[in-house]
Amino acid sequence: MSQTITIDPVTRLEGHGKITIQLNGQGEVEDAHFHVTQVRGFERFSEGRPFYEMPSLMARICGICPVSHLIASAKACEAIMSVRIPHTAAQLRRMMNLAQMVQSHALSFFYLASPDLLLGMESDPKVRHIFGVAAAKPELGRAGVALRRFGQSIIELLGDKRIHPGWVVPGGVTEPLTSEKRDKILATIPEAYANIALALDAYKKIADTFKAEIAVFANFPSNYMSLINEDESIEFTDGALRLIGPTGNTIEDGITATRYTEVIGEAVEPYSYTKFAYYKPLGYPEGSYRVGPLARLNIVKSMGTPKAEKEFEEFKQLAAGPVESSFHYHHARLIEMIYGIEKIEEILTDPRILDKHVRATAGVNRLEGAGQAEAPRGVLHHHYKVDENGKITWANLVIATGQNNKAMNLGVLQAAKHYVKDGKFTEGILNRVEAVVRTFDPCLSCSTHAFGKMPLAITLISARGEELDRVVRD
Amino acid sequence: MNSDLDEPMHFEKANCLVLACGNTLRGDDGVGPRLAEWAAHRFRDDSNVRVLARQQWTPDLAEEIAASESVLFVDSSIDSAPGRVNLVPVATHVNGPEGATHGSSTHHIDPTDLLGLTHSLYGSMSAHAMLLTVGAGSTELGETFSDPVEAALPRARGVLEKTVLRFLEN
Repeated sequence: MSQTITIDPVTRLEGHGKITIQLNGQGEVEDAHFHVTQVRGFERFSEGRPFYEMPSLMARICGICPVSHLIASAKACEAIMSVRIPHTAAQLRRMMNLAQMVQSHALSFFYLASPDLLLGMESDPKVRHIFGVAAAKPELGRAGVALRRFGQSIIELLGDKRIHPGWVVPGGVTEPLTSEKRDKILATIPEAYANIALALDAYKKIADTFKAEIAVFANFPSNYMSLINEDESIEFTDGALRLIGPTGNTIEDGITATRYTEVIGEAVEPYSYTKFAYYKPLGYPEGSYRVGPLARLNIVKSMGTPKAEKEFEEFKQLAAGPVESSFHYHHARLIEMIYGIEKIEEILTDPRILDKHVRATAGVNRLEGAGQAEAPRGVLHHHYKVDENGKITWANLVIATGQNNKAMNLGVLQAAKHYVKDGKFTEGILNRVEAVVRTFDPCLSCSTHAFGKMPLAITLISARGEELDRVVRD
Repeated sequence: MNSDLDEPMHFEKANCLVLACGNTLRGDDGVGPRLAEWAAHRFRDDSNVRVLARQQWTPDLAEEIAASESVLFVDSSIDSAPGRVNLVPVATHVNGPEGATHGSSTHHIDPTDLLGLTHSLYGSMSAHAMLLTVGAGSTELGETFSDPVEAALPRARGVLEKTVLRFLEN
């Protein structure tokens, strides 16, 4: 008789989800799925709206990464306008996107992942959360809070709000940076360096104790996709996409926003409202790929800033080719935070950063436009069509979590097969299965554009389809 | 008065922090931010009062609380009769991490847990902490308040003002 284990809800994620693990008659794991079970529909209700409203509408998709949606959306609008934004506007947007990356990665590492990493996968679930981390490692808790504040304060200073800021508009930004704001941000840089150094040092000390998890946390060959600069350094806001294969070989390069429909398809599985993105020439599921911090560090040849470069060189020693285990997303995230802080400092010392010319204007010059930008958890694409009056007639979004969907599902299966034996499971085992998903830091609200609560559970289902056990956490 | 928009990059030591919570797009749930707006104006010339309004109370706010000697939390309540204004002390005993009521959530924590987190992280505990609530009648989509909550606003403002002034005297 087979069984199914359900983990519902999966905790410490952006959003909510469910995991089911199907066992065969011998109690061995046969299959496993990560379910995203709601739908929202931003693409549909934006139809009929003026295109210039899209950035502020699309930012509402997510409270964690609204800036990336703002930027990808503004770029799609600029394609419709056929304008090139001023250099200073591009740099200011880049800074805001990096500030968001730092605060989002801090949330992922310190609030969501660190309870597992610092307290242990088998630690008492009653204390395995941010309160437990604060009690056991207050210095790291303070560093996390401070790094969140660092990124959020920059977003607030530029866009007036920490969540769903304005300021980024089609054509650039609404107002230039003042010297007072620049100096305020620069004054916070040293503290940010100190805090990320503390976190990276703590992570390196414990990483080796997770060898067993590293071996089975979505540790398999795959394709990877991210933006990259022409000089092959890391890029979050501009550049073009590169797709590499399992050995690090470049499959396709220079994929601009307008070409994404040629190369990216979206498959549908019956158990999830999140689509499964894939590289069209390879088909589905062979063309599935990973995005986000691990993908970016596997693709780029350099970080482009000194402190991050030093850590990147060490990271590359983890494997001869691409670093495969998704456990290493945590490490990659910390290195990207260093890069973000360094790059923000570099941008602020650009002599042109206080230029007043920060916005280009134009009307509708094309009836279709696409834009892409890196969100903290991976690249996202916005694609719009408009009528001659500039009203949206069609919109499509491809979001990071959908692009990681296949890898997350395979990762859950890999971990479940390793840990669940003879139909028996413990809380610590189920936590490890959840922790696989956490490494990707998925944003389920973004990926489904879902509205409302979506709890995540683990269910144990028999071969006859009967629900034998169920763990639900609100 | 320090508002979050005036000084977003630094935390100035304030005698009193008014920390409101609510969604201004969900009817009476927005009463906290509305009262915070009033408080920011009322105490605009007093550098000892800092006012913050957030959609949710999150762990990040521990840093703000640690920089304050007293805290007044302001929120709507679905457990009280619509329009009822309540002022209650927030327990300032130190809960261990196992006592956290919203442990797995980073999106919303209650005042007691927030004070406990502040103590764990910064070793400090506010001398005074109170929770001011206004009973919600409707939290449906909308930017207006129900009649009972609209009618309760003057009383809620009065309680807020009196509490802050009392904090400042201590």
